[in-house]
Amino acid sequence: MSTPVASIAKLLTQPTSGERARQRINGGMRVIVGVAAFLAILPLIALIFFVILKAAPYLVPTFFFNNPLDKEPGVLNAIVGSLQLSGLTVLISGPIGIAGGVYLSEFASPRVVAIGETVIDVMLGVPSIVAGVFAYLILVPVLGFSGWAAVAALSILTLPIMMRSTQEVLRLVPQAIREASLALGVPVWKTALFVSVRTALPGILTGVILAFSRALGETAPLLMTARGTNAENWLDFSTTMNAMPIVIYQYSNAAGDLLIGQAWATALILMVIALTINVLVRGRTVNSRTA
Amino acid sequence: MEGWAIVARPSSYLLNKSVIFDTDRPEKGVGMAGMELRQAGGMSADTLFRRITGTGLLILFVVLTGLVVAFVGYSNPLWTIQSPIDFLTSSTWSTGTIDESGQIVDALYGASGALFGTVATSLIAVLFAAPIGILAAIFLVEFAPPRLAAPLTFIVELIAAIPSVVFGLWAAGDLSNRLRDSIEWWIASSFGRFLPFLSEDPESPAADSVFRAGFLLAIMILPMVVAVSREFIRSVPISLREGYIGMGATKWEVIRDVILPTARIGLIGGVLLALGRAIGETIAVTMVIGNAEGVPSSLFQPGQTVASKIASNIGEASGEIAIGAMAALGLSLFLLTTVISLVVRVLVRRFAVTGGRA
Amino acid sequence: MATEKRKTENSAAGAKDELAQAAARPAAQAAQRASASESDSGRLTLDNVSARYGTFRAVKDVTLAVRPKSVTALIGPSGCGKSTLIRTINRMHETLPGATVSGSISLDGVDLYSSDVDPVRARRVVGMVFQKPNPFPTMSISENVSSGLRLTGGTSKSEIAGIVEDSLRRAALWDEVKDKLNQPGTSLSGGQQQRLCIARTIAVKPRVVLMDEPCSALDPVATLKIEELIRDLAAEYTIVIVTHNMQQASRVSDETAFFSMDDDRAGYLVETGPTAEMFTNPKQALTEGYIQGRFG
Repeated sequence: MSTPVASIAKLLTQPTSGERARQRINGGMRVIVGVAAFLAILPLIALIFFVILKAAPYLVPTFFFNNPLDKEPGVLNAIVGSLQLSGLTVLISGPIGIAGGVYLSEFASPRVVAIGETVIDVMLGVPSIVAGVFAYLILVPVLGFSGWAAVAALSILTLPIMMRSTQEVLRLVPQAIREASLALGVPVWKTALFVSVRTALPGILTGVILAFSRALGETAPLLMTARGTNAENWLDFSTTMNAMPIVIYQYSNAAGDLLIGQAWATALILMVIALTINVLVRGRTVNSRTA
Repeated sequence: MEGWAIVARPSSYLLNKSVIFDTDRPEKGVGMAGMELRQAGGMSADTLFRRITGTGLLILFVVLTGLVVAFVGYSNPLWTIQSPIDFLTSSTWSTGTIDESGQIVDALYGASGALFGTVATSLIAVLFAAPIGILAAIFLVEFAPPRLAAPLTFIVELIAAIPSVVFGLWAAGDLSNRLRDSIEWWIASSFGRFLPFLSEDPESPAADSVFRAGFLLAIMILPMVVAVSREFIRSVPISLREGYIGMGATKWEVIRDVILPTARIGLIGGVLLALGRAIGETIAVTMVIGNAEGVPSSLFQPGQTVASKIASNIGEASGEIAIGAMAALGLSLFLLTTVISLVVRVLVRRFAVTGGRA
Repeated sequence: MATEKRKTENSAAGAKDELAQAAARPAAQAAQRASASESDSGRLTLDNVSARYGTFRAVKDVTLAVRPKSVTALIGPSGCGKSTLIRTINRMHETLPGATVSGSISLDGVDLYSSDVDPVRARRVVGMVFQKPNPFPTMSISENVSSGLRLTGGTSKSEIAGIVEDSLRRAALWDEVKDKLNQPGTSLSGGQQQRLCIARTIAVKPRVVLMDEPCSALDPVATLKIEELIRDLAAEYTIVIVTHNMQQASRVSDETAFFSMDDDRAGYLVETGPTAEMFTNPKQALTEGYIQGRFG
């Protein structure tokens, strides 16, 4: 056995074969997880690239500003229809969802909170087609194939989203703030509204905008409620309405290059809108989120 | 005495006690000079506000109940002509014929083909998405350079924002063919001989296939797996990691022996959530799976899922029984996803309670 | 010299000396204030007060009389229910699910727990400053100070500006913030934020101000400033302060109440008395042990 000093030096500078193997495994795993992350991003890049490629030739002004029945057909009524449907959906389910979220965060007893959260979990898991079938079974017989039925179906999907996001954001408001307000003699409801909600307002609005973005992209519920139409439609929810996802779906199997090409172009618009909203709304918090 | 005067002199605003309280009713005051401590009569604003916000939650409960009642109610007529077992096991889906007396005969709504498709596509999706997603999450949390981690995470999660119909279009137009010519071909030629369900006719490969639908689903649910896994990996306390590193472990060993076991429950929950999403996905799958009846002989043949079946057939369904069949399909989806949601909730709650050790 | 020698021989006794000297100061001021108070504004009486979290009794049978416009310190080891006790005074304790209070607490002859009394209004008369400064993050400095007034209503806009300035002056913060009243409340340093919270609390004109270890999150310089502030505030308000720092108690308070924990882990009042006496001549052995640093 060499002197203690020399043996420590040896320990620190000359790894054993076992240790070398472990280091190799470590290095190998590092590569593997890096590849996995790359694979996770690859589809996005491929998809964006391909959609742009296929859509580009069809992005002409008539595409944006004409309706399907015009001589040079476009998808104006779909763009307008999507915005109308999603807008009304958010207008209806927004206040209800926010109210429910406020209740869960500020007023509900622990037992009610547990039940409420479970219900929200279940509702969040409901597939969009189930909401569509529900509207088809219950509302279409009464309201006909209409924008109203579509909005109802979409609201079923966005309501739990808004409730959950409101509750989550309110949860982030420090309890100390609420206590400070109560200690000043402010009633509970004013504390909830003017302190808790006010502090959480940016997050609540983010939730609303993201729900809007979600509603824009839904297809299945629309196919069996609003159905799509070639006619112009401005704010008439009582009849069939066109929407961008419907156009994409219906034109994708259509005959003729023009319609298929317009499906790609519509897909591009939809994708750009969805991505832009997400980047604008969530991009700002990216750096503070991960820490 | 001078000190006393300075200390004792109140500000003019203090003398004005009624500045804040003069809206109160002094004759009913509870003793304190000019100060009303009692509650105003009638329902307080607190209760009113509480009720208004509680109504929001109540509406959600009502909607859920409505969903359950509607699906159970509308699927009822189907059970008059066949049993649920037939629904689940038979692969024949026929609306039957109308005989001389105007009755519908020989109608059999067997959903086993659709159920097989749902299960198969979802399992394929999870098979690919779970390992890649978890590994990617490990990279993002543990190995990525700090300045890169946030933007990369953001980009991965951006995929979740893309509408499914866009995925479907891309898959139908491009991805499907690429997959057919690459991965499908490779698997079929390697394993097709002894595993018939992985076989493919090299002369005429199918235009759509169950496998491709599953693969597309994998891409779509990947962000969910990554996001949830990330959260649970990050939640492992630093003290645990440092303890192991202090013993001379490599980074990968810390991940393998400390982080993954601790986060295991959460990771499973994330995969289950993604599975639920895959089960419910309709449009993208419908555009790639081919809508063929019955159970396909191979994964590389076209098929259908419960969701795609509803989407394809609901336009033509008329009459109580046919609609009942659609409702029964919807009910199956609803039940599947609800069970998964509840299982995840129970799992994650137990994880949170035990603090990470399952 | 003699003092130093005693210190090396028995540091506890020397510390006790220091405490005694410090305690003598506020007592003199208190004597002045007591004779100056015109009405009974702010006389707080606790009678057999117990506080529970569900079935667990955290505070047992506390009877305490707090003189108006004085500073009373609650001292004792952690876990003795001091914070729980002051939260019963402004009816914050009951906001926790399952928490109950028994016994009676009266302010100037009014039972704060009488069924006639709205707890929200009780909290306007009894204010509280918390351990960690908690200014409202979405409000500016002046909005923070006026928040209590605006949210409870009843004060006109023109009066609010004047009250804001007055409260900030009383909280010894005006000179430091007068040029930046519109900046966010959270842009101040820790000590300044705490003075901001004090200004916010006194803006609604309470009679009693409760303080739950107000300096424990602050550096020594900020702490000293706030201790000076507390002595000045005692001219207008009755102050009850919970503190872990015995020296602080002796510097700042007129009366001291010492708490301990019994075998059921319930906090109870061991002894109370004028601060100077408590630190030089406590009546209970337990008190003396704590003051000499033998435990807690």
